[in-house]
Amino acid sequence: MKKIIVENLRYRYPLTKELALKDISFEVEKGEFVSIIGRNSAGKSTLCQALTGLIPYFYHGAYGGRVIVDGIEVGKADISQLVSKVGIVFQNPFTQVTGSKLTVYEEIAFGLENMGVSRDEMRKRIDYSLKLLDIYRFRDRNPFELSGGQMQRMAIASIIAMRPEIIVLDEPTSQLDPQGSEEVFKAIRSLSKEGMTIILVEHKIEKVAKYSNRVMLLYDGELVDFDVPHKVFSRDDLGDYGVEPPAFTQICKGLNIKDKETGLYPITLEEAYDLVVKADE
Amino acid sequence: MKSLSLYQEKNTLIHKFDPISKLFYIVAAIAIPIIIPTKTMALFCLAVSVALLLLGRVFGRVIPIISFSFFVLLSIIVVQGLFYYGNSTPIFHAGPLAFYKEGLTYALHICIRVVNILCAFAILILTTRPSDLIESLVRRGLSPRIGYVLSSVLQIIPQMSSTMDTITDAQRSRGMETEGKLLTRIKSFFPLIGPVVMNSLINTKERAMALEVRGFNSKAQKTFLNEEFNPPYNLFVKLFLAASIVFAAAWRIFI
Amino acid sequence: MSSKNMWSFKLTTASLVLIPAAVGINYIGKLFAGVLKLPLWLDAIGTALASMMAGPVVGAIAGAINNIIYGLTMDPISFIYALTSIAIGITVGIITYKGMLRSPGQAFIAGLIVALVAAVVSTPINIAFWGGQTGNIWGDALYTYLIANNFPVWIASFLDELIVDIPDKVATLVAAYAIFKGLPQKLTVMFNNEGEIEKL
Repeated sequence: MKKIIVENLRYRYPLTKELALKDISFEVEKGEFVSIIGRNSAGKSTLCQALTGLIPYFYHGAYGGRVIVDGIEVGKADISQLVSKVGIVFQNPFTQVTGSKLTVYEEIAFGLENMGVSRDEMRKRIDYSLKLLDIYRFRDRNPFELSGGQMQRMAIASIIAMRPEIIVLDEPTSQLDPQGSEEVFKAIRSLSKEGMTIILVEHKIEKVAKYSNRVMLLYDGELVDFDVPHKVFSRDDLGDYGVEPPAFTQICKGLNIKDKETGLYPITLEEAYDLVVKADE
Repeated sequence: MKSLSLYQEKNTLIHKFDPISKLFYIVAAIAIPIIIPTKTMALFCLAVSVALLLLGRVFGRVIPIISFSFFVLLSIIVVQGLFYYGNSTPIFHAGPLAFYKEGLTYALHICIRVVNILCAFAILILTTRPSDLIESLVRRGLSPRIGYVLSSVLQIIPQMSSTMDTITDAQRSRGMETEGKLLTRIKSFFPLIGPVVMNSLINTKERAMALEVRGFNSKAQKTFLNEEFNPPYNLFVKLFLAASIVFAAAWRIFI
Repeated sequence: MSSKNMWSFKLTTASLVLIPAAVGINYIGKLFAGVLKLPLWLDAIGTALASMMAGPVVGAIAGAINNIIYGLTMDPISFIYALTSIAIGITVGIITYKGMLRSPGQAFIAGLIVALVAAVVSTPINIAFWGGQTGNIWGDALYTYLIANNFPVWIASFLDELIVDIPDKVATLVAAYAIFKGLPQKLTVMFNNEGEIEKL
């Protein structure tokens, strides 16, 4: 079964005139790693929130089409029913700390307490999440004493403790320093290895190229392309949509170095290197 | 970062009672002197509160709590001693001013009542973690969403406080004037607390979304990570305190 | 926002999250007054803001929780004055939702109204608790003068409270109004949601 099905999704924020999402349709398979790219106000965050029920239930506004997440239709459920199906992590690590718990361990328990999970099950899940995100040693610290990267990993741990099989990450590293970013990307890779379906909004295009199974390009609320990274980054019109391909791809485009068979440009350093070496032969 | 609390970590008998029992005590300590408004009863309740504070080895810590009200009480003694409307028996003179027995008695009565209430509250405040109190209330039916709000306020104040410290330091190093004309003082502050205030409000949207996706509005029966420690003596204490109030009321009505 | 929904007790997550922010702002106001040695309390700016943004119910709860937490962690006397905070929250909420808070001038008048309400609610508490005084030097000086001249206690106490509340609450309302006006619409709309999701 497809993990995520979106059919003709349309949405308009309250007190605005333009649609923020215009007739978006796509499907995502279980275990896929999908990245969403696009310039600011392309609708990336809006789409992320539509997958979790925040749109329409948190914002209200005007909503049309269908979003089906792990078998549940968002339009017919509410946010609480969806939290065990899909989780979301936002940009700002600080605002994702509930502020009502005094230790990291209890902080992660917050969602589980709300869901009514039994105590033994809670402890199992919290330990699992802490270890997966490599923050087990911080479990007794006050959440506000963590660094940005650690706080963001705690946010991710809090979400996966609720056992969704899909996790959406909306620019999770944009407010972190380089070390924090690396920690978070490493964590996302662990999640992917565990079989989770990942939707990642990211501006760090090299990371997108490296990890994604497929890349979705949004512009002005519309879905422009949804394909494997090679095809998307090989497009000539990326600049029109406010997106730059990875540096290596740009260089290869400029030098017209492409794979002879597929007609596509390389997207990583290794590929570019291989092609250049081959071209020399 | 500490959360807001006057809690003293100790291992005394008083610490072992559950927070709700201490709430019961506060109600009793306030209600009984009202039901039986004699000076003896007021002093008796005060003595009990002091005894409990001593048992909890937190008596010394009551001073900061009382100090908030100290100057007011002092001024009440002076003002009522001089000008209470029922004044007729002078006790002593300070220069041209006469202090009267009725006023001083009235003021003393106020002081005892205030200190009594403060001490009763102090037993709760000094021997209970606020987070434990809130959790006890939620276990007994307080909406978990309100419990959340109470708990998060406890952490937000120290955060604001440390942000303000950073700001005042930054201002001082820029030569801000904490003395001088009022308008200058005010003006120098706005550019700095403005962003703090704005940020705290703008963050509410993201924080609300983050809570929603953690099941904040779930209709499931809430569970608790921590186990509740509630030995039977707590029930006994609560019954005893409730009975004392009833007994006092009966005393008042029939005697 | 229609005033027929003003008294709804349905608390959205956004309103609940607003409350700690309001208490934090109350705290900042108090600190601000203390550091600059202003003869004002300025400890209700957050409460007033919460009412302006989300209505009298949320404002009242913010006021109550403010005093409850202060009472629990600093000064138990605050507990008792929770009633005053609640009254302030309700009053500002009603004024805002009746559309009477649309200019700085109206904010000034709102401050006067709130001062009156606060004085009316606080005076019985002051009398029952402190024999009529308030703990503020200027107010108590007036109180002393009045009872020395045989005015009834309740008048002396009321004027004691009022003379302190008028400058304080006017400053509070004007400050809260200024902040409210400076907030982005995307934020304020969050608290004004009527609840209907339009179908496209």
